[in-house]
Amino acid sequence: MLGNQSSLTLYFLPLLQCLAPGFLPGQYRARLLYRQWQTADMLKLNFSVSGRWPGFVPGQHVVLTLKHNGRYISRPFSICSPLSLWQSQRQLQLCCKINRNGEFTPLLNQLKNGAVVNISEAQGNFVWQQPAAAVVFVAAGSGITPVAAMLLSQRHWMAPVSLFYRCRGAENAALLSDLQQLATRQPLFTLTLSDSRTEPAETLQQQLIANSSNKQFYLCGPAAFMQQVRTALTNSGVNARQIQQEQFGLVIPAPAEHTTDTTQLTASFIRAGISTQVTLNPQQSLLQSAEQQGLRPRFGCRMGVCFQCVCDKVSGQVRDLRSGALSGHGTEQIQLCVSQPVTELVIKL
Amino acid sequence: MKLTTEQFTTLAHELDSVKQQVQQQLGEADARYIRRVLLTQRLSALSGRILLVLGFITPWLWLAGVLLLALAKILDNMEIGHNVLHGQYDWMNDPVLHSRRYEWDIACDAGSWQRTHNFEHHTYTNIIGKDRDFGYGLLRLSNDFRWRLRNLWQGGTYLLLSMLFQWGVSYHELAAQRVFFGKKKLERHSQVSDSELKKAFFGKGARQLIKDYVFFPLIAGPMWLWVLTGNLLANLLRNLWTSTVIFCGHFTKEVYVFSAAECETESRGQWYYRQMLGSSNFTGPTWLHILTGHLSCQIEHHLFPDIPARHYPAMAKQVQAIAAKYGIPYNTGSFVRQYSTVFLRIMRYSLPGGEKAVKAL
Repeated sequence: MLGNQSSLTLYFLPLLQCLAPGFLPGQYRARLLYRQWQTADMLKLNFSVSGRWPGFVPGQHVVLTLKHNGRYISRPFSICSPLSLWQSQRQLQLCCKINRNGEFTPLLNQLKNGAVVNISEAQGNFVWQQPAAAVVFVAAGSGITPVAAMLLSQRHWMAPVSLFYRCRGAENAALLSDLQQLATRQPLFTLTLSDSRTEPAETLQQQLIANSSNKQFYLCGPAAFMQQVRTALTNSGVNARQIQQEQFGLVIPAPAEHTTDTTQLTASFIRAGISTQVTLNPQQSLLQSAEQQGLRPRFGCRMGVCFQCVCDKVSGQVRDLRSGALSGHGTEQIQLCVSQPVTELVIKL
Repeated sequence: MKLTTEQFTTLAHELDSVKQQVQQQLGEADARYIRRVLLTQRLSALSGRILLVLGFITPWLWLAGVLLLALAKILDNMEIGHNVLHGQYDWMNDPVLHSRRYEWDIACDAGSWQRTHNFEHHTYTNIIGKDRDFGYGLLRLSNDFRWRLRNLWQGGTYLLLSMLFQWGVSYHELAAQRVFFGKKKLERHSQVSDSELKKAFFGKGARQLIKDYVFFPLIAGPMWLWVLTGNLLANLLRNLWTSTVIFCGHFTKEVYVFSAAECETESRGQWYYRQMLGSSNFTGPTWLHILTGHLSCQIEHHLFPDIPARHYPAMAKQVQAIAAKYGIPYNTGSFVRQYSTVFLRIMRYSLPGGEKAVKAL
């Protein structure tokens, strides 16, 4: 009440930021110690993290926020370092795939040592739940990061664990040396590389099916890859409950071949009391459509993780891009970045 | 001076490109500027409130406190609040400076302001019967309104409105919706119910009153009366200033009004045209522009309400050149000159008769 903002911290934010540059409420400061290329496009960043950060369960990710050209922008990244690094030295490592044409990841390569960024609390429920059971991990490309954190953090090995790591050859396999060391040290752990340039996906799937009985599966990689593996496993009789998965990036489903429905959808975005009519592209997220019309809704990770773009849908139906689930027709909160229009919409930004 | 359809199209095109040029260069400099204004606002508010209490050393400190607090309230109201609530800084993704989150230090609830000001006033600028900002339903500012007896003392009404301006702004939407008095207008449909309007009005109003007239005096102990009076004066100064600035934006001598019928099917070019004719600027040094929240460039603000306001003075040069090219009147002058025409207008139309405002289209 005194500061007219939702909290006094927000009222005093300009002063607090003078004292602690980069401070953001609800976030934790992380200072870059060094960065190191793992492969041609995977960059490992080693941060020293504020002691207030509540810690993580291996497999979880954080949302990293940077200030670039006056704006705050954020993306989620999985933690790839073992728990012990955090516990002993208050450090953590993120292994990020740098997309040279992207908006965000090239900035990570420009960060100077000592630069301060913000990270969120650790999020996500892709974690190793039953260490006593036999487990098969399947990781593809940058999907290795949460899996590496889980494996490297494991102290007490009780059952055989195998990792199938699919990548474009050993030179494109990030974190490989750490995992190889673990394999020589730990007899219960076997590492199998699957070269996507020479080995067809079916071979990998057959290997997985061959020793699938009574095992837990953890999949992490591009959505299409995981879908294939998942289908192969369930077809061979693996119970869906035995499969855990985490996916990176948003896969916008390809438009149906024969879209009979060519009607243009429109949405009214009400921002600051002004209603703007926007023609929607049903192939895009609402966030993209809104931005193309010059609206600037608040956004963050653009993949449904950080909940910064949540806004009130007044009426209309949307589809969740990740799950394909349809929303109701009434008033509810939606995330713009992962919502696709199904009907005409009225949305309060 | 009536433009052809093609001229309206090219006018829209030229003004769009003025906007685009600025939009492309938004970035670090704008972010740094508005954060610096916010920091200045916070520092002057804090030091102002402390100096009010230190008035027991010498009343001069108290006076400095009043002025600093008034400055803080003016900055919060104009350059920060008004502009942030227009979404000018939404692109920054900032936790404070975002139209969805910002709440300002005046009696009016930010949400209510966004509906009445951003939507009603900015969409229907100076359309008689639609833009309730034209006279606020209290003042007769042209012969388009029938003279009533109460207009005879509208000079006094205006003075009162100015002194209590934040409450006028706060009550604006409730008056339009006839929440307490009058007959509902059938053609008005609101996004929010009357009970929500009342809740926002009383809730925000009460919070403001408690903050300035109960909480801060109480924690000042024996200096409570000094603090209470100081807060009252700071609010008064801010009210007078904002009211004066805003009246200079739309009610000067050569400002045009429109009828609802004229604007029903208007093109983007015609909309731009109406915004240019319906607003007026005044000139002055940079600090004056900042204290007005750059509403000294009311014309540019009405053309480009979501462009960060610090760009308006530079855009004004281009807009003025475009106006001259199309022969569109561009109303600007010194602060004193513009304000005196506002004052004369209020006085003139307190008496019956007078001219109808110029119809533009």
